[in-house]
Formats: sequence, C-alpha cells, structure tokens
Amino acid sequence: MSKLIIKNLYKRYENKGKKKTQPNDFAVNDLSLECEDGEFIGILGPSGCGKTTTLRMIAGLEDITAGDIYIGDQRVNDLHPKNRNIGLAFEDYALYPPLTVYDNIAFNLKAKGVSKDEIKQRVMDIAPLLKVEDLLDKMPISLSGGQKQRVNIARAIVRRPGILLLDEPLSHLDGKMRQALRIEIKRLHNEIKCTTVYVTHDQLEAMSLADRIAIMNLGVLQQFGTPMEVYDDPANEFVAGFIGEPPMNILKTTIIKHENDYYFTFENSDLRIIAPRRYYDLLSDGMQVKMGVRPTDIYVGGPDSKGTPVRVAVYEDLCSERRIGVRVGDELVMMITEDDTRYRQGEMIKLEVNGEKTHLFDLNTGNRIRSKK
Amino acid sequence: MKRKRIVGNAVKNGLLALYAIFALFPLFWMVLISFKSDAQMFNTTFIFDPTLENYDAVLLRTDYFKYFLDSIIVSVVAVLISVLAGVPAAYALARYNFKKKESLAFTILSFRFAPEILVVLPLFMIYQKIGLYDTYFGLIWVYQLITMPLLIWVIRGYFEDISVEIEHAAQVDGYSWWQVFLKRLLPLIKPGLVSASLLAFIFAWNNFTFPLMLSGTHVETITVASLKYIASDTVHYGQMAVAATVSALPAVIFALLIQKHLVRGLSFGAVKG
Repeated sequence: MSKLIIKNLYKRYENKGKKKTQPNDFAVNDLSLECEDGEFIGILGPSGCGKTTTLRMIAGLEDITAGDIYIGDQRVNDLHPKNRNIGLAFEDYALYPPLTVYDNIAFNLKAKGVSKDEIKQRVMDIAPLLKVEDLLDKMPISLSGGQKQRVNIARAIVRRPGILLLDEPLSHLDGKMRQALRIEIKRLHNEIKCTTVYVTHDQLEAMSLADRIAIMNLGVLQQFGTPMEVYDDPANEFVAGFIGEPPMNILKTTIIKHENDYYFTFENSDLRIIAPRRYYDLLSDGMQVKMGVRPTDIYVGGPDSKGTPVRVAVYEDLCSERRIGVRVGDELVMMITEDDTRYRQGEMIKLEVNGEKTHLFDLNTGNRIRSKK
Repeated sequence: MKRKRIVGNAVKNGLLALYAIFALFPLFWMVLISFKSDAQMFNTTFIFDPTLENYDAVLLRTDYFKYFLDSIIVSVVAVLISVLAGVPAAYALARYNFKKKESLAFTILSFRFAPEILVVLPLFMIYQKIGLYDTYFGLIWVYQLITMPLLIWVIRGYFEDISVEIEHAAQVDGYSWWQVFLKRLLPLIKPGLVSASLLAFIFAWNNFTFPLMLSGTHVETITVASLKYIASDTVHYGQMAVAATVSALPAVIFALLIQKHLVRGLSFGAVKG
C-alpha cells in the first residue's frame, strides 16, 4: 500500500501518424492528483479524455512528457514497470493464452523468482477472494468474460502491489455481470485495502466504487472530489452534465428583473424560475447564463400548483422511478419522480422547479458561477 | 435429416477423393517413370520391369548431391535471413506508426507481383559487375525477393492478432522488452512462423529463373541441374524423374514434421479470446 502523487503531468504524442494534429495537443494536460494510502480513486471521463493514458503513465507503459509521478516516496518516472510495485488489470484481460489460469496468476511471482511453495500459497490465498479457485487448471480460452476479468484482477493483486490500477475492467461485460463484479471489486477493496486507481467512462461505476473521483475531459482535470461533491457541487458545466443518470438539465437562460426579484426565463417558453437569493449580487437584468438543475429537483405540481403548464414529451416508466421529459423552448428537460401517478405522452402537467437547487454556469467558458456567500 | 447428412458427407468425401487423385497423379507418374528404363519409357504404362538403373545413374554417377547441397544451402540460408530480418520488420509494421508505413508494406508485397524474368536481366549485369554472379551469397540475396515478403506479411498478421496488452502485462509482470518478445510473442506466432517459413522454403527451393541466370557452374541448384538430363540426342526422362523425385523429398519431409502447425498456421488467427 502506498500513496500516489501526480504532479503537473503532461503527455503529448508525437505526430508520427498520418493525421497532423495541433502542435499543442496534449493527451494529458497539467494533471495533479494526490491519492491517500488505501484510497479508491476513480478517473472518469469520456473516451479520448486521457484517463487511460494517465493510468499507463503511472504503470510505466507510456513515456511522461513532463511532470512527476511518486509512488510511496519514490519518484518513479524512470523506473521500469516491473519496479514500480504496481498491479495492472487490463481492459482486454490480456491473459496469456498458452498458460493455464494458475500459471497466468503465478507468472509475475515466477518472473521474480519466488519459491514454488510460496507461489502456490499466495495463489491459493488470492483465488477464493476472486472466486477463481475452480478455474485454476483451465485455459483462458475456455473462460467467460467475467471469469477472465476475475483472473486478470487476481493476477494484478497476487503480487501485493503498492497500487492497483484497473483499466475499465467492466467495460466488456454484459449488464448483470458488470453489476456483480462491481460489487466484488468493492468488497475486494474493503478486504485488501490497497490504494486503487480505477479508470472508467461509466459514471455509475465511479460513483459507486470510488472514494474520490477525478473527472477529466480533453486531457484536463475538471474536478477532483468525493462522489457527493462532484454531484452536488460540480465545478463546471462538463462535470454537471457528465455526472448523474439522467444528467443535469442545462439550459441557456436570460435573467430578467421583475419588481425586486430575478427570474430565469427561457426562449420560446413560458417557464419562469425564481433565482436563488444567494445569486442576486451577481445577476443583472438581461444577463445570459446557463442554468443547470438536476432531474430530481423538478416536480410535477398538484391541481392547485402555480407551476407552468407543459406537455409531456417523453415518458419512461422504470417502475422504481418515472422519468418525464418536457420541452422548454427547444430543449428537452428530464425530471424524475417517484410518485405513482402515470402519465401519457401529450398530457398537460404543471412544472415546478426548486430554484434553490439550481446551478449557474458561464455562457462561454462553462465554468461554474458561484455565489460569494 | 440424418440421411441427408450422410449423403452430403459422401458427396463431399467423393469430391475430395477425386481432387486428391487429380492432384497426386502427376507425382505418382513421376515416381513411376523414375523406375522405368529408357527402353520401356514409351511402350509401357503401369506394367513394366522396375529398375533402379536411373537412381544409380543419377545419384552415384553424377554430381547430383552437390546440386542438392547447393539448393539446400541457398534455400535454407535465404529463409533463415528472411526470418531474422522479417520477424522484426513484421513486428514494426504491426505495432508502430510511422510515415508511409502502408506504402512500405505494399512495396515489400509488390516484390512478389513482379515477374522474375523482368528483373533478372538487369540483375545479371549488375551481379557480373559487382562479383556476385555465381556465388552463394548472390543467390541468397536475390531469394529474399521471394521469401521475405511472404514471411513479413504472414507474421505481421499474427502480431496484429496479439493484443498489445499481452505485451504490457508481461512488462508489468517483470519482463524486459526482449524477454517479452522472445518468451511471450514468439511462442504465439510460432504456427505462422513455421508455416510461412516452410512455404518460403518451398518457393525458394523451386525457383528456377534466378539460379538459371545468376549462377553458373560454381553454384548450381537442383532445378537448373535437372536440365542436364536433356542431352543433345535424347531426353533421359527416367533420370529426370529421379532428380525430381529426390528433390521433392525435403519439402515433403518438412511438411510432415510440422503438419501440426501447418493447418493452424495457414488458417490464421493465432490468439482469440
């Protein structure tokens, strides 16, 4: 178990391929992260955001353009992967086809020259933890995807790594297996308490597994915080739109002042939302910003409601919750309700928005506009 | 349904047998006439007095073994060099991105389209100038045109089939790059390497144009030497058949030895799952 510190990390790929990219095209741009001992860190972002590149630089499979990586107290920039004391589980499992599951798991220890008895002891210790004890004599080709990934993770942790790196371990599994293995990974982490870096594009995985989440986009770290923080207090429009299922509704809005209050208004819509008082210092009449509101902070009003009447455009009944989509101007706004009323498409409902729970973002930069209080 | 399948199988096997006869008959005929004396060559078909006279004449009374050895040296060394240079080249083409990569790969392949006769005349003049004419090295070098493209293209496909993560996993597990290459990748490409090498060997072994034009008396391969049995007055078909039969043996023996790899190797797809 070790701390992991990443300081001002940059990665730029040389333009060797066919396409000429921009000269300042960094795959990873000024990334700094600190992971505590035993912490579970999720690196989350859309494909091509640099998260896997980051992981591969930690593992030593990719050169570092600039910056430093420390594992424990040691600067590992120039160390060979085998000397970094890491375990890496690959997205595509990367099991070696000619070897049995046992030999695949034991391979690292063999390469290190650990005695046969100890190898056996350690493989046998790890196997039940990942429920692969019945598979040890099989060849990788005969395993299912979920089994392969268990073996892959067993191989990564049998060496007792300082840091366990997981590269989208669930992305090739079907839905049910994915969920089962996700729970297994959580349980495994609780048992071995190994510092873990988990790369994923699935916000649900990151939210459910990680102690803290680093959200990246286009090589740049957007926000680093606990799941609660990134959900409730997103740093910018990107994070707000990426976290949550369905994601936050983000709408372009014009502020108007009416009497002493500010309201959010929307093009081609009657909807008006009173702005929270904490923003009043920042707002002015006619100002344009983006407003974000979670689907759970929008409600269907009762018969006496003063909410704005709108037509149901999309209705999804997931039984445990109901998702209603309505049109505000040209945008589709999703809301989630748990009450039992069922709606039909085209039906009129009254829309109520909890103005206190809205977030504001700069129209151009997408950065969060925070109230000073 | 079951009857349909039996009939289907019978038809399939019948057709395969027919093809086998069609393909093997020339070989059978070659072996047959190698036992015929010149006198019985044209007036008997299957029933004749078998004689070892041709074998005696070719194997013991000519320099046959010298030609045989020349062919072995030239073909085997040509294939070895192709393997040593071609496997790393195939790896580079499969794994790295560099400028004009596909053009380079296609150029290598295109060596196989050009008729040998097209390049052999200029080569003849160049070889005479720089002293490569009628040397082992000269032939081995020009044989790279035949063996190298084949190896590079087959092996490249194998490398591309191997997930790059397998290499990375081995590196994280503690192997250096060379160990990864020798201990992890080579075993995985072995079926392809073995079968491509065998094919390359056969193509080199059977080549006629290059040794005919680029070598003389010092280095003489069996394909060219077989012409010697066409004398000015008569053609010794029996002796030619002996020369051909014996020269077919190495390829047959190699193919039998590596049969296990051959089927898998030529049907591609080394690593799945």
